[in-house]
Amino acid sequence: MMGFKLSRGDRLVWLLAATLLAGLYTAFWQADGHGAEAVVLVNGKRWARLDLFHNQDLEVPGPLGHSHIQVRDGQARFVDSPCPNKLCVHTGWLSQGGEVAICLPNKVSLQILASDPRFDAINF
Amino acid sequence: MIITVTRFFLFFVVIFLAACERQPAAYHEQLLVFGTVVDVQLWGVEPKQGQQAVARLAEDFDYMHNTWHAWHPGPLGRVNELLATGQPFSAPPSILPLIERGTELSRRSGGLFNPAIGKLIALWGFASDDPPKGPPPSDAAIRAIVDQHPSMTDIRRDGIQIQAQNPALKLDFGAFAKGYAVDRAIEVLRELGINNAVVNAGGDLRAIGRHGERPWRVGIRHPREAGILASVEVQGDESVFTSGDYERYFDWQGKRYDHIIDPRTGYPAQGLSSVTVFSQLADLADAAATALFVAGPEEKNWLPVARAMGISGAILVDDTGNIQITPGIRERLYFEPRGDSQLPPEVQLSAPL
Repeated sequence: MMGFKLSRGDRLVWLLAATLLAGLYTAFWQADGHGAEAVVLVNGKRWARLDLFHNQDLEVPGPLGHSHIQVRDGQARFVDSPCPNKLCVHTGWLSQGGEVAICLPNKVSLQILASDPRFDAINF
Repeated sequence: MIITVTRFFLFFVVIFLAACERQPAAYHEQLLVFGTVVDVQLWGVEPKQGQQAVARLAEDFDYMHNTWHAWHPGPLGRVNELLATGQPFSAPPSILPLIERGTELSRRSGGLFNPAIGKLIALWGFASDDPPKGPPPSDAAIRAIVDQHPSMTDIRRDGIQIQAQNPALKLDFGAFAKGYAVDRAIEVLRELGINNAVVNAGGDLRAIGRHGERPWRVGIRHPREAGILASVEVQGDESVFTSGDYERYFDWQGKRYDHIIDPRTGYPAQGLSSVTVFSQLADLADAAATALFVAGPEEKNWLPVARAMGISGAILVDDTGNIQITPGIRERLYFEPRGDSQLPPEVQLSAPL
C-alpha cells in the first residue's frame, strides 16, 4: 500500500468519529416501538409532555372540568374524566407509540410518542 | 501524504455522519374537529406548508361538520324539515352531493346502508350528544317506522328540486359523512401538492403515498381487548374504516344496544363486534363497514354485499371473537404476538371477493 502511519491524533479522530457514529445510530435509528414519552393535548394544543417512566398523576383542566391522567411504569391512562360515556377511561392503559385515548367532551387527548412508532395510525 | 490520506478518510466520515441526519420532512398535527380527533400526518413537506395545509383542513372539517350534522340546527336540519312537508323544494348545494352519493352507495349495499333511517336512529336516542341510557324504544314505535320502509329512492329529484315521497324518511349521514369528509380532505391535500399523507378521523383513515422510504403502517385495534389486533402496511391510496359495536351503545338490563341499526328490523344489528373495510375511497369504506355490520357474521350474507359494493377487503370479528378475513387482506396482515401463552387468534379465510 502507500505505507503511511497514523499519528496518535489521527487515531483519536478515528476513535471519536466511530464512537460518535455508534452513538448517533443508537440515539436516532434504534427503537423498539415502545413509547417512552406521551403528549397531552387540551383542545388540540400541547399541554404537557410526559416521561412514561416518571410515575405521576395529573389533573388536566378542560372545559368540563379536570381529567385525571395517570402514568405508571411506562404506561399511561385516563383514570377519570368529566364526560358522560367515559370512552377515554375504557380505552385503558396505553404504552405503544401512536396509541391514543381521547376525552372528546372535555377536549383532552393522551397519545404515546415513540422515536420510531410502530404505527403511523391506529384504526378502530 | 499522511495528512492527505487522513483528510480523505475524514471527508468520508463527515459524509457518513451527514447521512445520519434526519430529514425534517414529517408533519403531524391533531385537530379536535368533526366531533372527533382528526390526526393528520404529512410526509415530505416543510413545517410551514404543513401548518397551512392542516389549518385549511380544520376549516373544511368544521364547515362539513356544521353543514351535515344530523341533529344540530343547520342545512341538513332544514332539509329534513322541508322533506317532512312532502313538498318539492330547492336543496342546498352543500347537501345535494351527499344525497346523490348516499343514494348510490345505499343502492349498491342492497339497502343495508341506508341514510334515510334518521327517524329510527333518533328513536333509539343515538341522534344526541349524550349517549342514550335506555330503555330501548317500544316495538310498536319501531315497527311504525320500519313498516313504511324509508329509503333513498323515496327522494324524487328534478334538477336541484327534491321532494320526499315517504313521510318516514329522515336523512342521517352519520354512517358515511366521515368517509366523505376524509375524501374531501385528501382532495384538498392533493390540490396543495401534498401526495404523502394520512388523514385519520377518529380511527377511520385514508392514506396516500408513503412515509418516506417505507409504507404507512396502520394498527387495527382489537374490538374487545386493549391493544392491537393486527397491523397492515398501506401505500398508494387506500382507506381503512371500522364500524364497531363499542363505539356508541348503551346497556339496558344486561343487554348491549349498539348504534348500528338494521333498516330491515329497526333494531341494532346483531352478531358482529367489528367490521373493518379496505377500499380506495373513504366514503365507500365507511358505508360498506356499516352495510357489512348489518349483514351479519354469516359469509353467505356479508360476502355478496361486499362484492356488490366493490370493496377491496374486509375483516369481520364476531361477538364470540372469531375472525373472518378476505384472502387478499390476510396476506397483508401481521398479527401481533400476544404474550407467550396466547396463540394468534383463530382466523377463518372467506371466499375471495
